[in-house]
Amino acid sequence: MAIGACTFVIGLFTDRETTWAGYLVTNYYFFSIAMGGVFFYLLQSITQSGWSSAFKRVPEAMMSYIPVAALFFLLLYFGTHDLYRWSDPEAAAVDPLIRSRAVFMNVPFFYIRIALFFALWIIFIRILRKLSLREDSFDPADHEGIMALFAKSELYSKIFIFILAITFTLSAFDLVMSIDAHWYSTIFAFKNLVAAFLHGVSVMILIIFILHRRGYFPFLNKYHLHDFARYLFMLSILWGYFWFAQFMLIWFGNIPEETVYYYVRWQDGWKVMFFLEIGLNWAIPFMVLLPIKTSRNMMVITMVIAFLIIGQYIDLFVQIIPGTTGVLKFGLIHAGLFVGYAALFALVVATALGKAKIIAPNHPYLEESLKHKF
Amino acid sequence: MARTFKIGIFDDEEKFISSLKRLKEQKHSVYEVFTPYPVNEVLHLLKRRTRLPTAAYFFGLFGIVATLMFLYYTSVISWPVVYGGKPFNSFPSFIVVTIVVTILTVTILSLALFSGRSKLYPGRDNTIFDGRATDDMFIIVMDTEALDEQSAEEAGEIMRTEGAIEIINKEIETVYT
Repeated sequence: MAIGACTFVIGLFTDRETTWAGYLVTNYYFFSIAMGGVFFYLLQSITQSGWSSAFKRVPEAMMSYIPVAALFFLLLYFGTHDLYRWSDPEAAAVDPLIRSRAVFMNVPFFYIRIALFFALWIIFIRILRKLSLREDSFDPADHEGIMALFAKSELYSKIFIFILAITFTLSAFDLVMSIDAHWYSTIFAFKNLVAAFLHGVSVMILIIFILHRRGYFPFLNKYHLHDFARYLFMLSILWGYFWFAQFMLIWFGNIPEETVYYYVRWQDGWKVMFFLEIGLNWAIPFMVLLPIKTSRNMMVITMVIAFLIIGQYIDLFVQIIPGTTGVLKFGLIHAGLFVGYAALFALVVATALGKAKIIAPNHPYLEESLKHKF
Repeated sequence: MARTFKIGIFDDEEKFISSLKRLKEQKHSVYEVFTPYPVNEVLHLLKRRTRLPTAAYFFGLFGIVATLMFLYYTSVISWPVVYGGKPFNSFPSFIVVTIVVTILTVTILSLALFSGRSKLYPGRDNTIFDGRATDDMFIIVMDTEALDEQSAEEAGEIMRTEGAIEIINKEIETVYT
């Protein structure tokens, strides 16, 4: 964490633009991972899933990173001019497109929106977390009380997932897509949503594995592993689908204002990154997790997750860097920032995990999760 | 040649599974099982294995290769046409077609393989052990020739205690296998 803070400060003085771009990449990276945890949690409670109910404290702990991310996104205010070309009044003066968008894309409204979205998310996360913790204090025999609480958290999850779908879409447009002020893609936000879900789930599984190593989830069996692997498999296919849908339509449509986005990402060094992105995020999980044997092997899943963690970074790097600095270089600044954020994320998640019982003892479907089998 | 079968009819999956389990524990040979929907345990209990997923995987590979070759042949070798300045071999736009055709190939070939393997074809006669076999009932059929008198009694007893709604002995004239 100290490393991250130091690199950030040093970087600001030596190379402002690179630092802010790296800051946005890492910030968005961990924000999207926390969002993936939120998504997983919401989906599990809406579908009333039994198999995952013993692990629900892990996505809950990941949720608690969102307020921290909110703070860092508001800090982004000081780097607005280094990142977003539309915020520059001189650019707006010569560029009619930026001028015409100024009603929506102006600096105050941009931060009002970010603050509003984060406020909404934090409110709902608080409610869900509180409901989940209150469940622990119930008497296990009080089935009606527990079920009422369970139904309540399901209701809030249903409301939240709709709000999240809309607000996350808008925030992805704002934070990432507006870097390339002239380019737009309507599928972009969905791709980011799925990316957040995929990588959030992969980090969540990694946390569960680490905790299992430490002896916290002794009941983890091959059926749980298989379900986790299927989650990764399904989401990586979905991610590949969205990635390809965006790329193929632009490639085939061949409209200059759209292809310029991929033209930049098709030059010498970027082309490698471009193929690494699809390779790490789709091809490797798809090929490796296809047979039943590998998808029940903890080592193999961990390796796939390692690839996915790198893959998400490359994904965001390819999305953000060409529009800001345009230099393909993973320098010390990026590495330092990443280490700092990773430490902070680990600290926040570990603290949140420590605050409550690691297995929610009164969850109505806990029994099903402990003896999961299919 | 007429053969006699002992048929147990169940209206509940749990009862059906537990009686099948006990029958296998007692090493009684089960001739055939009918369920209204696929039940996973039946495969394990009757020690049957299916290699259909492996076959489907290779059908999929075949479908991908064949479709890509076909698209390459039509748009590059046989009849090259320039569409909006695209290269003849416009690979990204082939992928969507390839996915769809591969799914179709896998479906049709797997269906054909499955039907061939279980000897299902138009005009085939089938043994009807009980009218309810195609209904919402779970049915266990046991060949009495494979069982001696005592174990047939035992099997009937097991099914009765596990909650079969009906147990019948039925003589069937011709059995199609």
